[in-house]
Amino acid sequence: MKIWSMKRHHDPEQNAAEYVSGELPARARRWFERHLLDCEDCWREVLLGRFGRRVAEDAREPVPLGLRDRVRAKVSLSATDGDSPTGSVG
Amino acid sequence: MVGRDSRVRGNRDPRPRVLDDGMTLREDHEEFLHATMGAMDLVYNLARRFADRVEEAEGLVQETYLAAYRAWRDQRRPRRVEPWMATICLNLGRSRYRTRERRPIEVSIEDRDFRAPEVEDPEGAAEAALDREALYDAMRRLPEEQRVAITLVDLAGLSTAEAARAMGSPRGTVLSRLHRGRRGLAALLWDEVREVEDR
Repeated sequence: MKIWSMKRHHDPEQNAAEYVSGELPARARRWFERHLLDCEDCWREVLLGRFGRRVAEDAREPVPLGLRDRVRAKVSLSATDGDSPTGSVG
Repeated sequence: MVGRDSRVRGNRDPRPRVLDDGMTLREDHEEFLHATMGAMDLVYNLARRFADRVEEAEGLVQETYLAAYRAWRDQRRPRRVEPWMATICLNLGRSRYRTRERRPIEVSIEDRDFRAPEVEDPEGAAEAALDREALYDAMRRLPEEQRVAITLVDLAGLSTAEAARAMGSPRGTVLSRLHRGRRGLAALLWDEVREVEDR
């Protein structure tokens, strides 16, 4: 989000999402960080966003054992067959 | 005369098929696998956002790789593999699970007296305290579009612009889904964090 747009109309939800994702440009980030000192709504959203992001990062599920080999085998088989893969699964 | 062996093998030709650019099909699929296997983690986690059962998710992963390979063979090759694989998986997942009734989020922060974390390091507290199964369960209770946004951005590391392209939604919508998803997870799991901290 452009800094002039943030100053005119700040959206705690959107600003927090961008800030927590590290996607605010440098000037906008500096402005937002100063703004956080005074704005309880934005501060609350940032705290929740940071908490949720950390939790989300930990929700990564490991790829089941053998799935990579099964996918390799499927793709290799469809290449060996020489025509369009069927898309069948299982 | 068609021999038994050729009937059994159908149209399989033992000679390597040569593609337009002179590459054999075998070289081509090896190049495809080399380029895309690194996206397996993303594709599997995305598939889990649609499928309740691991076996279903595995099926969706295989289907995604076959569809991607078809496109690859047709010379439709991406600049970045992860967003491309995510888009294919999302399209397949949505069409496969379109008719299934999604569970709405059962807890929302508007419905309860939920306060923002008061600890100094909310991220550290979340990391230290959470049981993995509770975490997976909380993720599954989010609305589908929020789960997908979180998976693309927080798990797979796509930018919100890339996630927006993969999801076919405006970036602002993805930001909103992302934040609501994060907030939903916080609402669902904060009690558990406090319980562990109080022990």
